[in-house]
Amino acid sequence: MLSGILNSLAALMPAAEAGGDLLHPPKGAMLMLAVPVLTLVGVLACTICAVARVRTKLPAWISVACLAGAFGCVLATFLGYEGPRHAVGFEWIHLQWGGETPRGGGQVPIRALHANFGLYVDTLTLLWMLFVTGLATLIALYASEYMAGDVRTAGYSRFFVAFNLFVFSMSCLVMADNLLLLYLGWEGVGLCSYLLIGYFYKKPSAVAAAKKAFIVNRIGDLGLALGIMLIFVKFGTVEYATLLADSKFQGFLAAATAGDFASIPWDIQLIPALLMIGAFGKSAQFPLYVWLPDAMEGPTPVSALIHAATMVTAGVFLIARTFWVFQVSEYALPIVAWIGAITALLAATIGMAQFDIKRIMAYSTVSQLGYMFAGLGVMTSVGAAFHVFTHAFFKALLFLACGAVMHGFAGQLDLRKLSGVQKMPGWRIVGVTMLVGCLNLAGFPLLAGFWSKDMILAQAFAEPGYSAVGWVLLLTAGLTAYYTFRVYFRVFVGPQHFEPGDEVHGHDDAHGHGDHGHAHAEPAHDGHGHGDHAGHAHGSGGGQHGFHPHPPGWAINLVLVVLAIGAFAIIPLNFIGEHAGHGGWAADMVHHSTAGPLPAGAGHAAEGHGGGHAEHGTFLGMDPHKVMYYVSGVVGIVGIGIAFVLHLAGRTEAARSRADGLLPALGPIPGWAQHKWYVDEFYDFLIRTPLWVAAHLFHLVDKLIVDGLVNLFGFIPRALGKAIRPSQSGVLHGYALAMAGGVAFLLLIVLMAAL
Amino acid sequence: MILGAASIAEKIPFLWPEIAAFLATCVVMVVGLSPNLGTRRLCAPIAGLGLVAAGVLAAFTTPEGTGPLPFLMPFAKVVLCGVGLVLLLLASGVVDRDEEAVIAAGKATFNPLRTNRAEFYAFFLFSLTGLMLCASADDLIWLFLALELTSLPTYIMVTMSRTGRDGARSCEAGVKYFFLGALGAAMFLYGFALLYGGTGTTSLRGIERAFVSQSGSGGINSIAMVGMLLSIVGVGFKIAAVPMHLYTPDVYEGSASPVAAFLAFVPKTAGFLAIILLVSTMGWTFARDGSAAGGHSLPQLVLLTLWVMAALTMTVGNVLALLQKSVRRILAYSSIAHSGYMLVGVIAGPGDGTSITRNGIAAVLFYLLCYGLMNVGAFAVLACLDRKAGDDSPELETVDDLRGLCSSHPVLGWTMVVCALGLMGFPPLLGFFAKVPLFTSAIAAGEIPLVIVLGLNSAIAAFYYLQLVAAPMLEAPDTTVRTEPTGHAARPMAALISAASVVGVAVASGPLMEAGAKAGGKPVAKKPAEQPKRPPSGPSGH
Repeated sequence: MLSGILNSLAALMPAAEAGGDLLHPPKGAMLMLAVPVLTLVGVLACTICAVARVRTKLPAWISVACLAGAFGCVLATFLGYEGPRHAVGFEWIHLQWGGETPRGGGQVPIRALHANFGLYVDTLTLLWMLFVTGLATLIALYASEYMAGDVRTAGYSRFFVAFNLFVFSMSCLVMADNLLLLYLGWEGVGLCSYLLIGYFYKKPSAVAAAKKAFIVNRIGDLGLALGIMLIFVKFGTVEYATLLADSKFQGFLAAATAGDFASIPWDIQLIPALLMIGAFGKSAQFPLYVWLPDAMEGPTPVSALIHAATMVTAGVFLIARTFWVFQVSEYALPIVAWIGAITALLAATIGMAQFDIKRIMAYSTVSQLGYMFAGLGVMTSVGAAFHVFTHAFFKALLFLACGAVMHGFAGQLDLRKLSGVQKMPGWRIVGVTMLVGCLNLAGFPLLAGFWSKDMILAQAFAEPGYSAVGWVLLLTAGLTAYYTFRVYFRVFVGPQHFEPGDEVHGHDDAHGHGDHGHAHAEPAHDGHGHGDHAGHAHGSGGGQHGFHPHPPGWAINLVLVVLAIGAFAIIPLNFIGEHAGHGGWAADMVHHSTAGPLPAGAGHAAEGHGGGHAEHGTFLGMDPHKVMYYVSGVVGIVGIGIAFVLHLAGRTEAARSRADGLLPALGPIPGWAQHKWYVDEFYDFLIRTPLWVAAHLFHLVDKLIVDGLVNLFGFIPRALGKAIRPSQSGVLHGYALAMAGGVAFLLLIVLMAAL
Repeated sequence: MILGAASIAEKIPFLWPEIAAFLATCVVMVVGLSPNLGTRRLCAPIAGLGLVAAGVLAAFTTPEGTGPLPFLMPFAKVVLCGVGLVLLLLASGVVDRDEEAVIAAGKATFNPLRTNRAEFYAFFLFSLTGLMLCASADDLIWLFLALELTSLPTYIMVTMSRTGRDGARSCEAGVKYFFLGALGAAMFLYGFALLYGGTGTTSLRGIERAFVSQSGSGGINSIAMVGMLLSIVGVGFKIAAVPMHLYTPDVYEGSASPVAAFLAFVPKTAGFLAIILLVSTMGWTFARDGSAAGGHSLPQLVLLTLWVMAALTMTVGNVLALLQKSVRRILAYSSIAHSGYMLVGVIAGPGDGTSITRNGIAAVLFYLLCYGLMNVGAFAVLACLDRKAGDDSPELETVDDLRGLCSSHPVLGWTMVVCALGLMGFPPLLGFFAKVPLFTSAIAAGEIPLVIVLGLNSAIAAFYYLQLVAAPMLEAPDTTVRTEPTGHAARPMAALISAASVVGVAVASGPLMEAGAKAGGKPVAKKPAEQPKRPPSGPSGH
């Protein structure tokens, strides 16, 4: 029935007009305009809830309804999809200047900056919008329970205001038909990210993390802004269609295709580099990745939606959307590939040494984003987009499962203090769905994560000159499998034990998350859990105040199950459509968009599967597209096996495992990895300290010289006033004398000056 | 200079508003002496009706003038009728408060010799009539009489505005005002005489022609030039420009707030109209770097005089206001400073465009309206509240008295905040929209140094205006000073109208600015065929 409704919705859309190609699609897809409208309605309604002091779960239900409606619109558009569509909401910015004739002759050419609030809806847009709105709906539902502790404060409404605003911004970013609207969305998601990371604004670490995220993103945003400006300066437009159809741009593209990069001016080649900086910032790539792990200070639904599934893929989207622009530079895509590979490896090594499970997931996100960038860099935009799609499902799943643990154990996230959670009553669903997520992330054969990761790996080996990238990624795949299952084996299986976190609360839903109450924190103790009691599992020791871990309720479980099923359901998508076995449906989606191969005449195919390449790299002499299934599958299983041996087999307590015995053999390296390779400290030394010193110097200058000048200027009028005040004596004849004298004096001055 | 019957008839169409106001004055004088309290109370409504009638007549019956600024008249008259109505509301209960209370209590009977209600409203209307006549003036004698008709009633209004213990202060203020006003009048009368001596005519039109021919043949007669300078400086008394500004704080402080508000608008407007008319006889047709003809500037000497006056006036006004504690003295000094701002518009002149942003005269006319409204609002707040018990003065005096007004009397408090911000030129309030054309027209005229002085002074002024904003809005009420509304319902209404127009007129400032631009515009170039229709001497008739 649902699909019937959706189909009829799709039929409501204006019929497809004849004609139009990829760049100049016909009008239509008005239904997609409902997405920003619905999310804005959500923002307004939640704001009203906040103002009206609604202290129920109403904002959550409003949000779920709005987001589900938005998802329905996207789905209807998708089901009725017949080709790219262009929908104009309203004329947003239209500036025109020039045209006047300067004194020197000639005429200043008329320039115009034109940007509609317009949507460009192609398959790439739809792919992104499907998982953005779909996941947003599910996670809003999850959050309705997760945030329940704040229902009695204004925070609940505030959370959902920012949540809806995020989806609005993300939809602007993804559906924009011009770079300016994309930039609006880009800044919007950055703002919402800031607001939500800093949700627990009374907690200093959350505030610091929010600021860090915002500031690091500013660096990237500056790059993006400069890139957009440069595009405007060079091509006079910010609209994708006009830009890509521009004859000058087509000329550069043809030159790039022919390998003649020398004929492309350097400032044109600079454009992709600037856009790339923006993408690196938003998608947490080296060297700008440092904000993402700290962003885990936000509530877990936020981490799942914004900092794992959607916003951080905006950089991938930007590169995919402007994929052609990236091809006019000789170095842009290789840099993307190498940065991606380095990030993937770096984040994986850090992730291996962390103990906070949410942070491990954060580093794994950074690492997986590195995969996507590497995929883009080795010309498989299809693989990258497919990986974004599958990753969105299983990473959201993983985060939400970790969030359920955090929610149930009073903020406890240390894998040394939790063990065997899956066997505790009420935790089975969380454990099983966690396992599904872990298997996907580890690239276990035949699962969705396996297929998408495999495409990137294979293409890295297939693309000539990138086999080193391939090897790095392959190594990372093994590390990923290891650290993923390190979490699973330590936390979810094994002997039962737990220590609650420092957010100890009374019972059930009436508890705080950092906002209030972490007064009862007790020192850790090393008792074994004996959670096999019927009913509630109790931690040992007297410091618990009768703490009961409370298993997740229906909303959290439902969302976890839906996502786990989704993670399986997307597997068959790999085997349908034109690209069966090579990305399948998602590949088709990307293939028929601007991120797909170059238009006819350009031979440098951007397809994900190497067919038609003149040269073809090999993996140890074999065709990577054929052997990579087996190789990556084996690597994944080996990683899981190592994790099993080191962290599960024979483990009798939560805090210790066989891996600890190996650490001394590795010398200081695990410590370095645990300290995140001291990147933050390095940035501190390199950037923050000099800025701090300079700031204090400038402050001195400001205080002594600038303030002094200002105070002087403030002093002069008062001094002047004091000096002439005696003239206001109040004595009549004094006034008369002063007036007559003043007039005489004035006339004298004037006449003197004239003579 | 005998006006012929024909020329009188020709002038009548210009004078309907003045005639209406004068008729209302006569009725008020009679009604105010009625032994019946109800009839006496009709004084203010009748005066209001007269003003409304004058405004309507000014808007719809005034024909195009013949002077250098032919469209000035209707706009100026409508504006001053409008502000006059607000002033009238504010003036309710200024006189006869004690007397009427005594009569109402049955302790005395009505005595026509002891009442001054009729006189007050009659003088109020006389002064406004004089102001309108200033706008109509096309002759030096007429201008002088109109200026004095504007000023003479105000001397008496100041004196009678307070009674009891404060009576002595208002008497002192009135006497100072009168003697110094006489000194100023003597000065510009001497200037007028010299102008006559230098040009041979008292008609503004005739003077204009004389100047054109003089500057065509070896420069303007130096007697006429000295006359012009003396006239400008003398009329500077009306607008409280340096060096004729000294009376302002004492007089404002000595008179009741409604009368101080009246002083800040009516004589000032008359003075500006007179200066604009006088200066326009020379025209903004001289080069900036000399007295040679051809350009968009005033003759060098006049320019220099006005320049020095403007710069000194705004600076002196602002720096002295910085040191004040008394709200009324602050407003008095700020009134001096605002005159300095407006002189910048006079210097800029009508410019070459009809747009208000390039027309300094239009900017001055618009500024006068805006200043009138904002200033009345600020004084109205003072007029609305009485200080209770144990004080020398029943009216609010110092900035401290305003503390916490927004919480104790929200309407009055916010009126003060809005008006002070408006006077400061805070966007998007009225003062901002009024000040912008002054800046732009002066820039268009090339008076960059003066614009810098203007900008610096606006910044200095922010200091004391922000005190008037902060005291009611941010500070806690002063518990030692109890304030109570005076019980005149019309006064808060005047405050409210002013505050509303500070916000509202800003929103609707477009049409008003256009009207101002039209009023300050030069004559539209007439086709040669039309010229012979008018007699060569023009309607000034001599």
